[in-house]
Amino acid sequence: MGRQITISCFRFNPNIPGDKPRMQDYKLEEYEGMTLFIALNDIREKLDPTLVFDFVCRAAICGSCAMLINGRPRLACKTMTRNLPSHFTVMPLPVFKLIGDLSVDTGKWFRDLQMRTEAWIHTTKKFDFNALEVRMDNKIAEEIYEPERCVECGCCVACCITANIRDDFMGATGINRVCRFIIDPRDERADAEYFEVVGDEGGTFGCVGLMACDDMCPMELPLQENLAFVRRKMAGAGLKLTFPGIKL
Amino acid sequence: MSAKNTHYCDVLVIGAGLAANRSAIEAAQAGLSVIILSLVPPRRSHSTAAQGGMQASLGNVAMGKGDNPQIHFEDTVKGSDWGCDQEVAKMFCETVPSMIRQLDSWGVPWNRVTAGKKKYASGIETEDTKEKEGLITARDFGGTAKWRCCYTSDGTGHTVVFVVDTVVCKLNIPVHDRVEAISLIHDGVTCYGCVARDLRNGELNVYLAKSTIIGTGGAGRIYAASTNAVICEGTGGAIALKTGLVPLGNMEAIQFHPTGMPPVYILMTEGARGDGGYLLDKNMHRFMPDYEPKKKELASRDVVSRRMVQHIRAGFGVDSKYSTQQHLWLDIRHLGQKWVWTNLREIANIAMNFNGVDPAKELVPVIPTQHYTMGGVRTNKDGAAYGLKGLFAMGEAACWDLHGFNRLGGNSLAETVTAGYICGKQVAKYTLGATQDFNMKVVEDAVKFEEENINNLISGKNGKENVYDIRTAMGTTMMEHVHIFRTGKALEQGVAKLQELYKRSLKIGLRSSGQGANPELALAIKMPGQVRTALCVAYGALMRTESRGSHFREDFPKRDDANWLKRTLAYWKEGADLPTLDYEPVATPLLPPGDRGYGEASAGPVKK
Amino acid sequence: MELAKNLNASVNKSFGKTDLLVDLAQSISGVILIGFLWMHMLFVATIVVSPELFDALSEGLDKYYLAQFGIPATILVIIIHIFLAGRRAPLRLRDLRITYRMASLMKHYDTWVWVGQVITALGVGIMASMHLWTILTHWPLRAATSAARVASNGPADITWGSFTFPYYVVFYVIFLIFGEYHGGFGLYRILVKWGWWERHTMGWVLKGITVIIVVLGLTALYTFTKIAANPALGGAIH
Ligand SMILES: Cc1cc2nc3c(=O)[nH]c(=O)nc-3n(C[C@H](O)[C@H](O)[C@H](O)COP(=O)(O)OP(=O)(O)OC[C@H]3O[C@@H](n4cnc5c(N)ncnc54)[C@H](O)[C@@H]3O)c2cc1C
Ligand code: FES
Repeated sequence: MGRQITISCFRFNPNIPGDKPRMQDYKLEEYEGMTLFIALNDIREKLDPTLVFDFVCRAAICGSCAMLINGRPRLACKTMTRNLPSHFTVMPLPVFKLIGDLSVDTGKWFRDLQMRTEAWIHTTKKFDFNALEVRMDNKIAEEIYEPERCVECGCCVACCITANIRDDFMGATGINRVCRFIIDPRDERADAEYFEVVGDEGGTFGCVGLMACDDMCPMELPLQENLAFVRRKMAGAGLKLTFPGIKL
Repeated sequence: MSAKNTHYCDVLVIGAGLAANRSAIEAAQAGLSVIILSLVPPRRSHSTAAQGGMQASLGNVAMGKGDNPQIHFEDTVKGSDWGCDQEVAKMFCETVPSMIRQLDSWGVPWNRVTAGKKKYASGIETEDTKEKEGLITARDFGGTAKWRCCYTSDGTGHTVVFVVDTVVCKLNIPVHDRVEAISLIHDGVTCYGCVARDLRNGELNVYLAKSTIIGTGGAGRIYAASTNAVICEGTGGAIALKTGLVPLGNMEAIQFHPTGMPPVYILMTEGARGDGGYLLDKNMHRFMPDYEPKKKELASRDVVSRRMVQHIRAGFGVDSKYSTQQHLWLDIRHLGQKWVWTNLREIANIAMNFNGVDPAKELVPVIPTQHYTMGGVRTNKDGAAYGLKGLFAMGEAACWDLHGFNRLGGNSLAETVTAGYICGKQVAKYTLGATQDFNMKVVEDAVKFEEENINNLISGKNGKENVYDIRTAMGTTMMEHVHIFRTGKALEQGVAKLQELYKRSLKIGLRSSGQGANPELALAIKMPGQVRTALCVAYGALMRTESRGSHFREDFPKRDDANWLKRTLAYWKEGADLPTLDYEPVATPLLPPGDRGYGEASAGPVKK
Repeated sequence: MELAKNLNASVNKSFGKTDLLVDLAQSISGVILIGFLWMHMLFVATIVVSPELFDALSEGLDKYYLAQFGIPATILVIIIHIFLAGRRAPLRLRDLRITYRMASLMKHYDTWVWVGQVITALGVGIMASMHLWTILTHWPLRAATSAARVASNGPADITWGSFTFPYYVVFYVIFLIFGEYHGGFGLYRILVKWGWWERHTMGWVLKGITVIIVVLGLTALYTFTKIAANPALGGAIH
């Protein structure tokens, strides 16, 4: 016999006229290895078929299932209920547009981010189908992979006070994404060009340094390191732009 | 009422996984207007979950020296147990190296060759030369003669999906995410596009295009336990099947991966064994060498999975605290802390997160689990679906037939981008030459049909069946009757149960109001299609009285090339409760059937 | 159209540079102020060693016009810092509400620390002006005058029977703690944003320094009250 758990769920479906935001309690029996993926699906299948939430991979790989669990943003699929008290709350991520209950629109937000930071390799080289690949040091490949591991779950944005206050702040994920391209030798952009996309308060200089992102990233990306790296890099680029001829 | 919005474009791409996105890029680069539909934002597609790597015969790493497309081709055909389309396989093996390099130019951080002597945990010693340093490296994967699985640490699928999506962004191809295609619109000859439901608000929209591409991925979720994401429900295939004109090919060919981790059956990548991991039984005995002295843990997946179940049946399984099923152990402790937490970090994390097990120190429970659908919408080698003009399919949703009856690890990510490229070009060619009149009556009827269906589900006009009960019953039926070891009797029972479930699935009534982004309604709409798909698998398996690749019949344990060197085509006629099966011959012009070199079924006599 | 686009782009670009300069200036002014604060506290703490040392130091500062130059300069930096850092504080009611809600939901340590910094900033701003005012109106600054100031009863005598509320002692204890809290964590934040160091270790180092300085400050304060009670200890104004 498992323990009885009570999940207080945020409920609100903006598509249903007259619906009001509220918290609703569900009681479940916990069992061995229960994750929130299992628990929420149990609720939907057995208690309340209207409950809206998102899961895709259920293996902490795709970043779909981020929500506030007892107030903190986490990936629900890898959160074991046994690590939570017997009564806990789940709420949708703030900042992102609410679709219903626990589901928010991260897709559009992140696509806008890609477009805004021009998050793709900028190169003048034409791909030659018959040529060998350009050589690269394995170390650099591994370095690029580090920030590239971001799954765009939105946890770092949701827990960031700046992102909660300012609509135009791209969050740690945005700065981290630019970091990935700065490291990549295949991207031919000059620092001044990166400066154009992150060198303002919507980007790297908007960060106040609260580091909730660093503490709550489910992929445990070294966000403090990456953010500081981009900040220094962009400070250098910006100073050069402001005082042409300066040596840094 | 009619559809809320109607969108027109040249090429409609259903799906935003690797295959779909890669083909969208080809079409967009040809100057066509493209719209991509997807259940989820592209980067959350299931392709992201692929950890292991992508096969391409670059031959850079020392253990891949001398590799070439011909050897890759032979491995693929042997792996498929001669069930694949050899022309497709050849074309694929020749194209895939440049695909890997193109992905590199787009930004995939492939791991590279580092010069020097190396000793792998598996005991193999090699030396990589300076001459190859900095070129793309590869790791070992099951069923291959050479090391050719290109990878980025433990996140190959993730990096490739992200990078391909950057190109989609760069080309500014519109992606309509949280949109589900629920039926194809066609006039009996040509495909017009689809009716789609907006999962943000429940509205129905129409998408009309000269060409429609299905790139919706696998159908693993018709099984109760699967390594697949929860959105891998085979909807693309199901809506094609529903037309009555388009067949699904080889649906009985389902791959079971040796190492799914209970209780949620998340995949432990083949890379774990490729890097030197062992399988142990309850006595901590490494049993695979007893069965497969040559390839050991790295025989093809179908073989390893069967050997594991065989070993469990022989009484060597470990009692599980997670389920009634017994399991075995995956042992990678000897690879060492550093190797496990860098090169296999993703699975180390998974074991840690979901079972509280540190694989560098402890054993990981594993059990063969449904993993891949070799079958799908049957297409020709250009990716054009049988039966309807202007309809294409690629990736796991398609039966291009690269994999026959067993897919090699690493060949499917490689297939997605290669098919996306090759077939995407063909789609562009076709679309540039096509004109299309849309008979609006046909379109309106299609929308009306779906609307009525939805209204009936909400009102419970056809019945009050619970959709979740049906899904659960379908899943367990597939587990009990259509799994790794199959027999005529069990399959017959399975088919009967599924037929019963199919009838019930037509009488589903919602318990909720069905308003807005209602998840119960979303499932109810596609439930009959899922049971139809399951029936294609079960019935196809019942009728195929031989064993080939991953399709293993205990009552017909040998491969039978005389009678069964053919591909199953399953059609669904309107009003039927079983698919109609047809067959087409499988040609073997380049490599005649022979011994795979591993496994039990291949040793059968080659009848003339 | 093209013109408008170019204009827009160049305007945005120069804004970008402003953002950088403002951010840099905020960090630099912060570093200067924390440097000042720590020096200041070390100087004040010389009273613990001996009033003579304290006086010698402060006379030296006067003699070489370091005080005359340093005090206005510091005031200027403080004003700049208030303006620059202030723009980051959640000043609108909506922002305050969001900040409070998220901080209490998440129970995230660094976020709460920052809320504390915003509050202490307010306190430090007010108390620093008061402190400056009293010093400048009681010039010169020597052990004896400082001791007298610390021991005096402040703007209004509040007494309960024989007990007199030690206005200045309480004022300085609060000022000290607020100042060090704001400065210590401020430096931590600056280093987190720009630096190479792992922040948890760095946090502990900074906390250590802050505690030492606070203890020094409290000891100095205690010494001043002792001197005030027994002027013989403090010597006369030289
Ligand atoms: C855990 C795991 C690990 C794997 N590892 C490897 C590996 O290492 N190497 C390898 O080669 N292969 C691997 N595979 C297999 C490989 O990942 C998949 O076969 C491949 O990614 C399928 O890609 P796809 O583009 O066909 O489909 P998917 O990536 O599954 O994409 C399907 C897309 O279709 C969309 N879609 C589905 N239905 C609809 C609908 N009705 N309307 C609109 N959109 C829809 C989805 O939103 C999604 O965007 C692995 C598979 C799994 C399960
Ligand atoms: S469902 Fe994919 S990360 Fe949780």
